Amino acid sequence: MRISRTLALAAAGTLLLTACGGGDEVNTGSGGGGSGDNILVAAVSAQPDKFDPHTTSAYPSFQVLENVYDTLVVPNAEDLTMEPSLATDWTTSEDNLTWTFTLRDGVKFHDGSDFDSADVVYSYNRIIDEKLQNSYRFTNVTSIEAPDPQTVVLQLTKPTPNLLALIGAFKGMAILPENAAEDLDLNTEANGTGPFKLASTDANSTELTAFDDYWGGKPKIDGVEFRYITEPTAALTALKAGEVDWTDNVPPQDIESLQDDKEVDLQSTASVDYWYMSMNFDKPPFDDPKVRQAIATAIDRDAVTEAARFGAARPNETAIPEDSFFYYDYAPFEPDVDKAKQLLEEAGVTTPLTMGLMVTDAFPESVTAAQVIASELEPIGIDVKVETLDFATWLDREAKGQFDAFMLSWLGNIDPADFYEQQHITGGSSNYQGYSNPQVDKLLTQASTEVDQDKRKDLYDQAAKMIVDDVSYLYLYNPDVVQAWTPGLQGYQIRADRAINFESVELP
Amino acid sequence: MTAVPTPGGTPAAPTPGSPIVTRPVRPRWRETLGLLARDPTAAIAAVVLLAIIVVAIFDTAFASQGPNEQDIANRLQSPSWSHPFGTDDLGRDILARVILGASVSLKVGFLSVGLALVVGTLVGLLAGFYGRWVDDVLMRIMDMLFAFPAVLLAIAILAIRGPGTSNTVIAIAVVYVPIFARVTRASVLGVREEVYVRASRSVGASDLRLLTRHVLPNAAPPIIVQTSISLAFAVLAEAALSFLGLGTQPPNPSWGLMLAEGNEFINRAWWLAFFPGIAIVVTVLCFNLLGDGLRDVLDPRQRTLMAGGGR
Amino acid sequence: MVLVGVSLIVFSLIHLVRGDPVRLALGTRYSQETYDALRHRNGLDLPLVQQYVTWVGRALTGDLGVSFRSGGTVTSLIGERLPATLTLAFAAVFLALLIAVPLGTVSALRPRSFIDRFATVISQIGISVPDFWLAIVLILVFAGTLGWLPTGGYVPLTEDPLGWLERLVLPAVATGVVSGSVLTRFVRSSVLEAMGSDHVRTAQAKGLPERQVFTWHVLRNALLPLVTVTGVQLAYLLSGVVVVEIVFSWPGLGQLALQAVRSRDYPVLQGAILLFALVFLVINLLVDLLYSRIDPRIRR
Repeated sequence: MRISRTLALAAAGTLLLTACGGGDEVNTGSGGGGSGDNILVAAVSAQPDKFDPHTTSAYPSFQVLENVYDTLVVPNAEDLTMEPSLATDWTTSEDNLTWTFTLRDGVKFHDGSDFDSADVVYSYNRIIDEKLQNSYRFTNVTSIEAPDPQTVVLQLTKPTPNLLALIGAFKGMAILPENAAEDLDLNTEANGTGPFKLASTDANSTELTAFDDYWGGKPKIDGVEFRYITEPTAALTALKAGEVDWTDNVPPQDIESLQDDKEVDLQSTASVDYWYMSMNFDKPPFDDPKVRQAIATAIDRDAVTEAARFGAARPNETAIPEDSFFYYDYAPFEPDVDKAKQLLEEAGVTTPLTMGLMVTDAFPESVTAAQVIASELEPIGIDVKVETLDFATWLDREAKGQFDAFMLSWLGNIDPADFYEQQHITGGSSNYQGYSNPQVDKLLTQASTEVDQDKRKDLYDQAAKMIVDDVSYLYLYNPDVVQAWTPGLQGYQIRADRAINFESVELP
Repeated sequence: MTAVPTPGGTPAAPTPGSPIVTRPVRPRWRETLGLLARDPTAAIAAVVLLAIIVVAIFDTAFASQGPNEQDIANRLQSPSWSHPFGTDDLGRDILARVILGASVSLKVGFLSVGLALVVGTLVGLLAGFYGRWVDDVLMRIMDMLFAFPAVLLAIAILAIRGPGTSNTVIAIAVVYVPIFARVTRASVLGVREEVYVRASRSVGASDLRLLTRHVLPNAAPPIIVQTSISLAFAVLAEAALSFLGLGTQPPNPSWGLMLAEGNEFINRAWWLAFFPGIAIVVTVLCFNLLGDGLRDVLDPRQRTLMAGGGR
Repeated sequence: MVLVGVSLIVFSLIHLVRGDPVRLALGTRYSQETYDALRHRNGLDLPLVQQYVTWVGRALTGDLGVSFRSGGTVTSLIGERLPATLTLAFAAVFLALLIAVPLGTVSALRPRSFIDRFATVISQIGISVPDFWLAIVLILVFAGTLGWLPTGGYVPLTEDPLGWLERLVLPAVATGVVSGSVLTRFVRSSVLEAMGSDHVRTAQAKGLPERQVFTWHVLRNALLPLVTVTGVQLAYLLSGVVVVEIVFSWPGLGQLALQAVRSRDYPVLQGAILLFALVFLVINLLVDLLYSRIDPRIRR
């Protein structure tokens, strides 16, 4: 071990040098950057697949893109209501079919060119014309026009109360400069209006540098390095060792010990994600609501949450988390083995009943949760076979209806339509369980065009009640967003939608 | 190639300059075992392996708590009298799971190597004995399989067939077939032109008789050694595949799966990943030591493929 | 010939695998129109035979296609990963030889001595340890508890030589120890064999000095097979020590290939396996050539 000891000494040498250089920032990794110590090193769990905001669907890509691109409107960090970004102002016509956006003045792209309405028209038309994955967000949009450089007008077929969430929920709706797809290789290059420019990317890290002419003011740090560290254990060790300044790769089981740790600042907040389990409505006996209710009654959500998330989640029998305006306080299922058994009996099911529960190793917490659920369903005579699949196979079987039951989550939901519509409406694009309830269909359709917020909430509440009672989804919990950073890091705000924004961060 | 130690040679170490014997020799099992018993390391390895096998067969008798019994209130307990290896993140007894994991690992090991042994030996025998185009065709196919990175080939097979213990057996077997084919072929080539084979052929013995009575028995020693070594690597391969979540499915324990689960808790509870790791090392070590002992006794010229490209 | 076979096997294997790269690329919310458009863009709506022929045709000109996942060319993706893989493979082999040659030689020269037994035990354990478990333990001890070395990652040598070395140590040890153990055993036995060979005995009988016999006859004879086995180890390491790469966040080809399997990124997987097979075949060819020189009985 002589080699490593020598190295350790050498490493200690640089550590001292850096410490003398100013601040306590130990940053052995960014030596090649040349821009000194004012670079934030963020440990993220995976490499972005590509940097084209319109064609990627990968969270690691959006972690970077959040800091590079802007949208017309953006969710507020506090409660995720939509607030101005590239658009400063907007009005709707009397019939709610025309939306007029006034664009921000003096915004520049990273290459120095000016931002105007033509860029918005180009970006939105690119999504629509090339049928990119977010084109569904423009289903109600008939035209996008730019009467002058500062104005964009959207014409709709029907009132769309969640239009702002549709065009601003995340950077998948980013505004690119006109003809960006022709001028650049958007998979590897970027030209946005955001606080940071994409400087370089490789198999090890992605580097951003501060954009001097950012419309919101130049960031206080000189740049960000996103370093990919797959193993959460390694990410934490790196954070404690001062190799990185920030990470979201925090395993829930380490939260407790980290809370008392002076070397780390840890924060968590309830997210707008939810985990659920669903059963195949085309496969007896799971087509019987009583069987589904029996399972919903047998499962102890608190125990599942504690086991899978070490308490870093809020058990919930509906989808929308408690902090939201659209939260609906409804919890009809109390864990009760006898009642569950009785329900199974009423359904005329002979036990033991075997149920395959499909989970994916892409989300290890679901593998743990499934094992807890298996042990909870055993006493009522259901033999759960946990099937851990890779995500591709999982998706394939889901789409083909080859499952008894599955478990997954929906992430980054902003509007109640995100939470309920396509998942539960008859024939909905995400309704893989095969749920069909005409009343729910009616309520969801009505809610999608209801512009009065209170009336809209009431409609969603009614729909949610039926969805829960019929156990279309068996809701489990809303996980917490957990992030950790180096003590003294200022200006960072943890967000319920998991957007990672380093615009106003200051390093210690 | 001989099962008889050369005069003056020590059985435990490769014998320098063992002469090439040209008379037919069948492996003498009793003698082999006797020689093996004189090699203390191999003997100990054999005993430990036997113990592991016994424990694996009577798994439940050795644990106080069922291996899948959860007890969240007592999760992540460090090793103690009631839980000698501690408990995992769901409060399950790690000792019980390591024991049950033994049966999974050994089952996968024996079945996959057994499968590879049968298919690979057959291919190697045919290729080596008949030569010419048979050899060319069979061995080119083996080369293709062999040219795949082992882990990726197994991963691809599991991706096609879906994860699970029985598919892991198939995946590992496919990886090892070409190794057995090569070893057998090389061994057969060495035997084919021996005087006694030629003699039998000249008196009109049938191919089947030649193969079963003369070629296979004399070509067997390296295959036997390769089997023991492959068992070691099969246990490792199962662990690696389960570590990647492709092998044994939870809640059933396999050592690799337990390592993967334990790796997430390494900061808080080292025992989760430690004990299954030790179990793998001990088992694999025993197979290797046994393989070494067998090699010294049966195959002093070391014609087996070391490491077999499987690692 | 073998390469064509391999490419055919890869191609058919890939299309047997369940799961759809398009579905995976789109995430969970999209319309059927979007799905069809992307399938068309990736050429997945063409008949399989046509897809294969197109791919082979392009591959012959060095064009391995474009990744479904990242939109980058496969050659550039592989090129991006190659330095890390080469670094780790050569470092591990270097370390392995550093362990194996002295240890194996000494134990062969003094069979049954303490050092021989020690080397045997150590190398046996080394072979029996799962490399990824060793990796976890190394991280826990040297990066966690002691905090001497980084937990993982990779920095190009040109960018930060010290960081490069620091990050290389643990992965190289984790893989090098295993390879080193394999090689130690090999060195020991081939030196033993060489010492027993006729010409060494003759040299000894002629009364040549022990040192001269050793360097001129024993080592030279033992070296040849060592080169071939080292080649096999190198081929194995180059094809990616997948699990170790994952544990150390090492951006090598193994990780790329595994990711390609998981995301059903057919072009990347085809390209990577083709490369592995090529490396393997070239090294294997050399091994075969050398083997038949050593053991004429294996010559065909």
